[in-house]
Amino acid sequence: MSEQGIVTDIQRGSLRDGPGIRTTIFLKGCPLRCLWCHNPEAISPRPQLFFTEDRCVRCGACAWACPKDVHQVRSGSHEIDFGKCDSCALCVDECNSNGLRIVGKAMDVDAIMAEVMADMDFYLNSGGGVTLSGGEPLFQHSFSLEILRRSQQAHIHTCVETSGFVAPAKFEAVLPAVDLLLFDYKATTDEDHRSFTGVSNQQILVNLDAAYQLGKAIILRCPIIPGLNDTTDHFRGIRALDQKYPRLRGIELMPYHDFGNSKRPSIGLAETPLDLRVPGETEPNRWLEALAELGCAKVRIG
Amino acid sequence: MTKIDDFSMELKFTETYRRNLSEHIALREARCLQVQFPATLGTIQEGDRLAGRTQWGWVGFSPHNAPPNCAYGYFCHEQKIIEAVERGNIPLEQRDGVMEMLHFWKKENSKAKVEAAFTPKMLPVLFRDEIVPLPYNFKPMIAQPIYRMAGVFVDYQKLVRLGLPGLRQEVTEYRDKAKASGGDHLLFEGMLLAIQVLADTCTHFQKQAEQQARACPDPQRVGQLNQLAEVLGWNAARKPETFYEALQLSWLYTLVSGSLELGRMDVYLGDLYVNDVEQGVITEDEALSLMRSLWKLINQLFRDVDGRIIIGGRGRPNEANADQFALLALETTRTYGKAILPQLTLRFYEGMNPRLMEQALALIGEGHTFPLLYNDDVLVPGVANAYEVSREAAEQYMPLGCGEIVLDHVGFGTPSGSLNVLKALDVTLRDGVDHIMGKRLGLPTGELRDFHTFGDFFAAYKKQLAFFIEILADHEELEYVESGKQAPYLYLSLLYDDCLPRGKAIFSGGIRYLGGSLESFGTVNAADSLTAIKKLVFEDKLISADRLLQALNANFAGFEKERHLMVNCPKYGNDDAYADDIMVELHDFICNTVRDQRKRTNLDWYLNVLINNKQNTILGRWVGATADGRRAGGPMANANTPAGGNDKKGITALINSIVKPSHAIHAGAVQNMRFGYDFFSKDKEKLEATLATYFKKGGAQAMITVINKGDLEKALVEPEKYQDVFVRIGGFSARYVDLPRDVQLEILSRKTY
Repeated sequence: MSEQGIVTDIQRGSLRDGPGIRTTIFLKGCPLRCLWCHNPEAISPRPQLFFTEDRCVRCGACAWACPKDVHQVRSGSHEIDFGKCDSCALCVDECNSNGLRIVGKAMDVDAIMAEVMADMDFYLNSGGGVTLSGGEPLFQHSFSLEILRRSQQAHIHTCVETSGFVAPAKFEAVLPAVDLLLFDYKATTDEDHRSFTGVSNQQILVNLDAAYQLGKAIILRCPIIPGLNDTTDHFRGIRALDQKYPRLRGIELMPYHDFGNSKRPSIGLAETPLDLRVPGETEPNRWLEALAELGCAKVRIG
Repeated sequence: MTKIDDFSMELKFTETYRRNLSEHIALREARCLQVQFPATLGTIQEGDRLAGRTQWGWVGFSPHNAPPNCAYGYFCHEQKIIEAVERGNIPLEQRDGVMEMLHFWKKENSKAKVEAAFTPKMLPVLFRDEIVPLPYNFKPMIAQPIYRMAGVFVDYQKLVRLGLPGLRQEVTEYRDKAKASGGDHLLFEGMLLAIQVLADTCTHFQKQAEQQARACPDPQRVGQLNQLAEVLGWNAARKPETFYEALQLSWLYTLVSGSLELGRMDVYLGDLYVNDVEQGVITEDEALSLMRSLWKLINQLFRDVDGRIIIGGRGRPNEANADQFALLALETTRTYGKAILPQLTLRFYEGMNPRLMEQALALIGEGHTFPLLYNDDVLVPGVANAYEVSREAAEQYMPLGCGEIVLDHVGFGTPSGSLNVLKALDVTLRDGVDHIMGKRLGLPTGELRDFHTFGDFFAAYKKQLAFFIEILADHEELEYVESGKQAPYLYLSLLYDDCLPRGKAIFSGGIRYLGGSLESFGTVNAADSLTAIKKLVFEDKLISADRLLQALNANFAGFEKERHLMVNCPKYGNDDAYADDIMVELHDFICNTVRDQRKRTNLDWYLNVLINNKQNTILGRWVGATADGRRAGGPMANANTPAGGNDKKGITALINSIVKPSHAIHAGAVQNMRFGYDFFSKDKEKLEATLATYFKKGGAQAMITVINKGDLEKALVEPEKYQDVFVRIGGFSARYVDLPRDVQLEILSRKTY
């Protein structure tokens, strides 16, 4: 059997994760704790229970099925003790209203490649390929590497969406198998980076530099969160990277959206303490203008 | 004052028919047509640039364009006449005659003639006298006859080339030859009378236009009406020499012939259009205005499933000029505004003028349903194989109505029967008995528990399907035979190949190919149900045969767990071989069994079609709960489209699935695809790549809709039907129905998605 990993989802016919029509594989597990995380269910590296409260009819079938006493269903309420859950999925099988599921599924590389290869004609006609996303896809390092290598052997364009927070040796090991890096740039100062994401950006910047020096195609992806990093200083930081790395393929600003917040209770996470603001309709254009004034030409809204 | 129900035309029509009962059927039909036209012609209305409106009577003759619920051929609308009798406003002197007329047509209308000839095998299955005409169906039938001669594609090119005088001359020559050689010269006499009816129709409208012009205070409108009168007068006596004349003549032929299809308009109008524009006879704007007038007439006079105008594709001798006209037709649809007709149909192939496809996609991106897209690179060889004709002949394929394919003016193939594939599965589970009526409909092949393997069960199902298919094929043949006995369908015989040289009417041995098609509904649901039965009952043994039947009989009440298991079985449309293989096997079996009927019958072809119309919903009402998780009475999936948004893996997986069933063994399959608006506006190149890949992989046809706000609103109410809808959120796409309610509402409030 080929290498196994934990996958949250495979999205075929994806238009948003690199050039052309792509198959995006979302891998579970992320060492960062970004304040604005939009995929909180991809943080933990293990499969976990996901509860969609809207769909629950309070029938109690899950409570009967569960050997660990995870579910407490009373009239009008359904409490879940996520800490006790070992993701055995017995409750999921009993939930006829599709309110419960397990996020994260063990898959081997062969199964993933079968799905990837099925859309070969679409990649060829559109200049698309395969994209690894997450979570932080390189967190499952050897699994990712295997998918990338196998894709490359099949002449499929490969793309990795990464925070760059990976041990340099591991990062450099995957680079030969990557055609395009979608590399996050979240904060300019180390202090900000630590406070926004929980980790330092030093190692990230080392990895970015290494990839650039190796001549890799890189698109910088900058999540912009009003009140956190929509600052002139950060925009200057983006412009500085733009000047330092003239061969960057592009810079994309990713406006914050709060879709991730609603998923937090579904996996037993506390609601986010911060009340982050979703940018208004015209706000991203003002960011573009600000960057243009600084001389940044290749920036666009992602 | 209450309106008088005047039946003078109907009474005169009936009297003419009766007086000519023992006459040659061609003379009888022609004399009836003389009564029908111009009596049933309508009035030119304000703004009309073309003449040609009708108000059909409640008794009359038409192959297809009869009033709704009137069947075809010689028709009598019993319901409307009875309603008039009940209102009591029929003129005194007509009352006895009307009742007598009602009684006379009971046996004599064309549908009754076919029913009277039913074979003993047909009787218990086709429910004679109990059939409620489309679109209503209150009987849970598996095989249902359809009464009409649909898909009339006459040789408009010949009509435009010869005009009425040329046509008259040709028919006269054939008449004289027939007379000299002892052939059926009266058939040609009938045709000559029919040509005269058309000429009289031109003159009728000419006078009407002149009259209106005299009474009109608006000088601009007077100019238009006088021009129209001139065009009509010209057509009555000469062959058309301008685009305007040809457009008017072809429309009047469509109208009096009772056809609902307009055919390869770019071929028969392209040369005159380009010539007139180049010579300054007409401006492009003026041509557009005439075309919009045609679009309006079609929308007001036709029903929603017909009105095909075909543009583009292989086999056009005047391709460059035809392309110019095709662009005009696309522009007409764009500027006319969103409408359900005409069903503008773009045929295309690799190497065709790319502007046509560019314009087509632009229209679709703006939210138009048209044009419908047909891939000649797949369909021409497919039609050649399915119909067993040369590639050259196959280049003249014409999709009609809901998507059935026939061959332009050489082959007829009315869809005269529908097969409820899902209901046939319903009875196969229950020894051939319909549990809704408690009546035997199918063969006694045993109950689900009697089968030891899935293969045995599938074989029994196939046996049931074959039983119904044979009956429907026999019925198609019978319908032609009886139609041919009663009438020569003069306007069709005049402009269908081989009728004139053979000296025979279209359905009596005149036409080159006499084919037919069978509309099948519910195949996708049936395939998904088979998949669930295979997996749950025979392989995983999670549900026993008896329990499955109990669950279905109870419409899943108390069997939520079982339904959950059924819903979660693999489904067609996700590039999953387990489900798709069963769909392919079922599709192949139905198509090949239908196609083989030509060996049993005198039909030149008989082919299955998987099409869009309302029948998937109407027939679904009489099917109980099914093993794919569909609830009792719910709609069945349309055409070859995955059921109820069951395609969850995205557009590429959907495409990989829908290209699996073969397109070389049927007479048309419709593929519906939904795309988000963003796909058209922001990702145009990716959309084009997606479609190009689909067509290259063997995609034959595409009906594309752009998801609009209304769809998203419906998705909130019935999320299970909209699993395939993806929307854009920030930098990524998400399945709309999986989003939390507040996010869904937020997206709904946006302009684009």
